[in-house]
Amino acid sequence: MTHHQGLILRVYLYLIILTAASAYMGSVALGSNHSWLQGVEEVVLASILLVTLIKGLLIVDVYMELKQAPTLWRNLLRAYVILLPITIGLIYILF
Amino acid sequence: MANTGSNQVPTADVASVASSPRPYLPGDLAMWFFILAELTVFAIFIIGFAVTRQLYPDMFQQGQTYLHPVAGGINTIALISSSCLVALSLNAIKHSRQNYAAALLGGALLTASVYLAVKSWEYNELIQQGFGLSTNTYFTLYFFITAFHFMHVILGMIILGSMAFKTTKGAYQGKSLSGFESGACYWHMVDLVWIIIFPLLYVIN
Repeated sequence: MTHHQGLILRVYLYLIILTAASAYMGSVALGSNHSWLQGVEEVVLASILLVTLIKGLLIVDVYMELKQAPTLWRNLLRAYVILLPITIGLIYILF
Repeated sequence: MANTGSNQVPTADVASVASSPRPYLPGDLAMWFFILAELTVFAIFIIGFAVTRQLYPDMFQQGQTYLHPVAGGINTIALISSSCLVALSLNAIKHSRQNYAAALLGGALLTASVYLAVKSWEYNELIQQGFGLSTNTYFTLYFFITAFHFMHVILGMIILGSMAFKTTKGAYQGKSLSGFESGACYWHMVDLVWIIIFPLLYVIN
């Protein structure tokens, strides 16, 4: 197995774990009426969006192979996966 | 007397410059402009969905109860798996393993088919329950965003199929991999968009 193959498979594992984590957070934390969760919905929402952001960065850097791309293109794609979840979070929390 | 000392580059710097890879954009430049355009359109839909949800929170909360989070999860895993197989396929073709690369693309198509099957089942379930594009704003946006993505998956699968066929014919042997890389990056873009759509539609409630 080459180094790059190993990296691709490791990223796959991370993506699956992160997907399971965000689904768990959504179903347990946001979908329940536990009193101890009152007031932390924003934190859970931010965590789910942070997980989405990390997954996006992994795809951009490793699967799209933009880690070695010219800075402009890499930053454009990275800006997309960073700014879109932040925008969604701001819309949900502030408005 | 010439001052040669000021023009000398430290040996360590020369070594680091020599070992650092040259910036390289995989695929065709035109494909990247296309990907950026597609991502922009999806961003507008996604932000539109988020804003409308804040305007009609009850409607969106109620609408979401009719979705199938497990189906959304299966689709996410299917697309991530497919993306992984495409990345492995590109790696294989760079090492001149044509048959292995074609087999991996076949696997990517298979996992993408899981997405199509599950999404079609989900659409059928919703339509059977009487929900459609004109039910309310929530379902208009839900069907519009997911159907638009669904069409991109179909287009991506056609591209992957073409790449697999060309790989079996040895089209990427000893030639530029630009076409292969472009197709692969398009497929990763489809996966990337779903990764943002999934929490928006199924997880955050």
